[in-house]
Amino acid sequence: MTSTPTKVPAAPSDTASLRGRIGDSPLRPDGTLKVQGEFAFGSDLWADEMIWGVTLRSPHVHARIVSIDVGPALATSGVYAVLTAEDVPGGNVGLEHADQPVLATGVVRYHGEPVALVAADHPEIARQAAKKIRVVYEELPAVTDGRRALEPDAPQVHGSGNLLRHLKIRRGDPDPVAPLVVSLDFEVGMQDQAFLGPESGLAVPDDAGGIDLYVATQWLHADQRQICQALGLPPEKVRLTLAGVGGAFGGREDLSIHVHACLLALRTGKPIKMVYNREESFFGHVHRHPASLRYEFGAGHDGLLHYAKAELLFDGGAYASSTAAVVGNGGTLGLGPYNIPNVQVDSYGVYTNNPPCGAMRGFGCVQAAFAHEALMDELADRLAMSRVAIRQLNGMREGDRNITGQLIDSAAPVAELLQLVQDMPLPAERLSEDEFDLLSLPGGVSNTTHGEGVVRGIGYAVTYKNVGFSEGFDDYSTARVRLEITADEPTVTVHTAAAEVGQGLITVEQQICRTELGVQRVVVHPRDTQVGSAGSTSASRQTYVTGGAVKAACEAVRAKVLERASTMLDIEPSELVLDGARIVSITGAVVASLQDVLGTDAVDETVKWSHRPTYPVDPETGQGDAHVQYAFSAHRAVVDVDTELGLVKVVALDTAQDVGKAINPDAVVGQIQGGSAQGMGLALMEEIIVTGGRVLNPSFTDYLIPTILDMPPMRIKVLEYADPHAPYGVRGVGEPPTISSGPAVAAAIRQATGKALRRVPIRPEHITEG
Amino acid sequence: MREFGYQQVSDVETAVATLATSADARYLGGGTNLVDLMKLGVETPELLIDVTTLPLTDISETADGGVLIGAAVRNSDLAANPVIRQRYPAVAQAVLAGASGQLRNLATTGGNLMQRTRCSYFTDVTKPCNKRAPGSGCPARDGEHHNLAILGASEHCIATSPSDLAVALVALDAVVHVREGDSARAVPLTEFRRLPGDRPDLETTVEPGALITGVSLPGLPIAAASRYRKVRERASYAFAIGSIAAAVEVSGGLVTDCRIAWGAVAAVPWRATRAEAMLRGKPVAIESFAAAADAELTAAEPLEGNAYKVALIRNVTVELLAELTGASR
Amino acid sequence: MRITTTVNGARREVDDVWEGESLLYVLRERMGLPGSKNACEQGECGSCTVYLDGIPVCSCLVAAGQVCDREIVTVEGLSDQQGLHPVQQAFIECGAVQCGFCTPGLVVTAHDLLARTEHPTDPEIREALAGNLCRCTGYEKILDAVRLAADRLAADRLADIRAGSSGRLT
Repeated sequence: MTSTPTKVPAAPSDTASLRGRIGDSPLRPDGTLKVQGEFAFGSDLWADEMIWGVTLRSPHVHARIVSIDVGPALATSGVYAVLTAEDVPGGNVGLEHADQPVLATGVVRYHGEPVALVAADHPEIARQAAKKIRVVYEELPAVTDGRRALEPDAPQVHGSGNLLRHLKIRRGDPDPVAPLVVSLDFEVGMQDQAFLGPESGLAVPDDAGGIDLYVATQWLHADQRQICQALGLPPEKVRLTLAGVGGAFGGREDLSIHVHACLLALRTGKPIKMVYNREESFFGHVHRHPASLRYEFGAGHDGLLHYAKAELLFDGGAYASSTAAVVGNGGTLGLGPYNIPNVQVDSYGVYTNNPPCGAMRGFGCVQAAFAHEALMDELADRLAMSRVAIRQLNGMREGDRNITGQLIDSAAPVAELLQLVQDMPLPAERLSEDEFDLLSLPGGVSNTTHGEGVVRGIGYAVTYKNVGFSEGFDDYSTARVRLEITADEPTVTVHTAAAEVGQGLITVEQQICRTELGVQRVVVHPRDTQVGSAGSTSASRQTYVTGGAVKAACEAVRAKVLERASTMLDIEPSELVLDGARIVSITGAVVASLQDVLGTDAVDETVKWSHRPTYPVDPETGQGDAHVQYAFSAHRAVVDVDTELGLVKVVALDTAQDVGKAINPDAVVGQIQGGSAQGMGLALMEEIIVTGGRVLNPSFTDYLIPTILDMPPMRIKVLEYADPHAPYGVRGVGEPPTISSGPAVAAAIRQATGKALRRVPIRPEHITEG
Repeated sequence: MREFGYQQVSDVETAVATLATSADARYLGGGTNLVDLMKLGVETPELLIDVTTLPLTDISETADGGVLIGAAVRNSDLAANPVIRQRYPAVAQAVLAGASGQLRNLATTGGNLMQRTRCSYFTDVTKPCNKRAPGSGCPARDGEHHNLAILGASEHCIATSPSDLAVALVALDAVVHVREGDSARAVPLTEFRRLPGDRPDLETTVEPGALITGVSLPGLPIAAASRYRKVRERASYAFAIGSIAAAVEVSGGLVTDCRIAWGAVAAVPWRATRAEAMLRGKPVAIESFAAAADAELTAAEPLEGNAYKVALIRNVTVELLAELTGASR
Repeated sequence: MRITTTVNGARREVDDVWEGESLLYVLRERMGLPGSKNACEQGECGSCTVYLDGIPVCSCLVAAGQVCDREIVTVEGLSDQQGLHPVQQAFIECGAVQCGFCTPGLVVTAHDLLARTEHPTDPEIREALAGNLCRCTGYEKILDAVRLAADRLAADRLADIRAGSSGRLT
């Protein structure tokens, strides 16, 4: 690996003819395959001699495994292998803490925990054989309530206390008072990422005890590290390639089929394909933490916040996953983008016997935003102030310090974003019934909110979210860029391990290469572990961090090319410019062609690139520069509520967001639209129903996500206030829309109904009940 | 899924006879419910007899001015049929309020009447359920029953029927035509499905192995102004949490005749006969509608998690009756 | 059992199909046509939508035996030698594709809508696509794509009429 050259030659200037540079919106390179059904998702992979793997999962919430008899399963015709914990050579896995066995060992801690694996030549035979595995369980007392988990006599999930993390933030006066005090309790249900492409992959054994795994995931190298741990193999024996990913949203950050498929492949010597069905997918990945929130704000009669106290309790479920980081985000960011001089926050993450929870878009901020935004509305109402004005009054600005004492050292346009959404035109008043033809517009369009008792409400919310990994994490990405002449045309190949999950990072990588090297033809190399880690496709970080690495690698390539040209031409490199296929002197004269300089050689540079460091927060006060960058967004929701039936129709969901620099403006809008839909879904309908630790609705019939009929048209305003610390000034885009959309919808429903509505999703009965 | 056989048949007699040869066979219509339940392991037939190829795909007008809908008529064809749309609009509306276009293109009329409950304990074979495994118990009563029955339930089962179509049909006096062995029989839809009682596993009143051949609707002038209204938790592609089909005839400011049925409140499409009786002869007024709904709902036995449905059904009933009669609120 | 059927215009014969296999499984795993997607396999998402005798259905709920001697068109059969179908092209251009898992089902459903309705209104588009779940896009750009495809197909038809040719089948 090389480091970034200190003296960076200028980027090409005369590239007007190039199409698809940064700031353009070129079409995604995988689009043609995807619309024809020819793009290979993890579930589409196929290999000669391939057989199928399935998982047997725990039907119990907490139980001791007394015995497992695999005999009848193994004796089934067509079955190649049946594996249990005894067959796992290595140790536990886990994203942050290695606390999760690959297969349950002695005890199951949640409903759906993997217990055994079967490989067979037909998926149905494998499923039938799995049912023949005789597992004798002895049920144990379970803890399925987050608050109960912290009581001293609560059943222990891991025997080491159920507290996973407690983050304290103490700032200013420890006994603050204020003329006006508002408080509330808020509950957020368990949301699912509900990506459309189920967990899937193909593990292919080699002849030397190693394995190639093709898998749909978010972070190849974190997977590789854990697989090596579990298999007891060195990294060179465990090679990963990204299969097509059917959406992720945080749900693919933890392992799913990875180790299981590898174990079966190594045991049988055959390629193993594993594909979850939808039901198993609901058990096979972590969910958004349900949260229990207790908030109190104190303010002056002028509306200025004096203090805030907050207690956030995140139910992490049976294994740690990324709960500690979610607790960190919830705590450090959980009071919203407001200036608050005196702060007491306690953010807890606990183990329970509920399904494990971890990363989902918005990561800890989503839950908190429902509480702080409901409280800001309450404060505004008590003061008879406008709900927008009170947020603008207290909103952060550049140069302010947040509740951990960190300086906000780039744009923080809270007031402006709110103003922008407030000033957008409002949708037309409700159509009268006569304007609908019930038969020609069946279903939702006409069949819901057109009766009497329909009232309109408007709600606002604003948020800020950290971008990239925080609290001192060594957050970097690696990019390899190669420039050569192929078929008489300069060609760039860009190679990173960054997971393309649909967001369009591969397009962004192409755009950066075109911009930096002036070359039209940019080939995106398949993502694999043959190049260094890119970090996870999460935390809205890839355009920033992997984008930064690709930019740096391009700069290194440019420097190398000019060095070669300099030697060849005997002109100082600083007096040369790489301009696509030509080398130009600073006077503008073409002095050589790239072909002359490269011949048949390629210039190939790999760069590991980090953003500026972050730091752990102080354990007692929570003070510190925890985050590298903040991204801001605001939403305005307009809803029609049928108060008699409890039905809600979101008629408009408008937003403004600062993205620093829109590398691909169309893709930015796509992120905002999709992210907003997910936030709206949590406010209105999305919840995994868990009673006594058991999941009751693992299907798309019973776990509802918004359809095209639920999603209103959106007005979107994108601001571009460059962050001087980030490549091109970019700011992460993906998460803020998921955070501020839901609270805006909830606020609009509260405004329409006058009800407190302290839980999401808001169900019809919450609106109609007394 | 267990292994099973698949057979196509070309006439009703063969279908019924073939079913009788197997201890555990099922008729396969559109498959939108049965195939799903087989994937979940809830249904484990050893033989599927495909009845979509039977000559039961017509919608024909009958001598009494009504229609006969073949059991194999696809939902999308039913909803698009001009006679149905004109004379029985609630039927078309109910069909279109259900599922999605792709599913309506598969689902059949007969299959729709046989749709099984979406109770989450019924669809999960790892949990007890008296309907699926008689005698195993009903965890729904103390568990998740947010969308389960408020009417006609028993201590053994509080499941609901999820069909939209059946609600409209039962409101409009539909009759189910079945073939039982060698004989044909007509059963009013109000009597076709059973309330759970102590045998929630028995869902219909017809003989095991009976085949639905069609559904007839009588000539019914009141039906021409019928409507279906569905309440659900998202705008489309979701089961009802409450629904209503209704038709009202008004003369001189009085309700002279009416039909009211509710969905998602019971194991059967619930014909609200008490409400109808209460409403006949009453003035067209919100109070009359509310009193009618209340009369029916006195029998409601809601649980903690589904008590909201009582008010919801009452409100949607008042709302739709007001809409149908133009009563001012 | 043996399945004989027509897929994307070609006669296909597959042996050793187990009765429990769905049309979706047969297409994906036995005919090498993985374009139709397996997002839920329970008729809850529309990702597996194919034409069966000209009518869009969820192929995950159709039993393999039910397709004997019938005609199936999958997403792989929508483009031809002239290139992508205007619906496919519009999906790419409008940014209606992100992860792309729902895309094949949406493309088939939108294709069917535009074959039935020349200029669908927005409510008609929404109603027609309500059986196809998408988790990435928030649907806005999908609406854009259907509108664009409708315009282009109308323009194509007009051009065909002017040129006196029968033109592309939608």
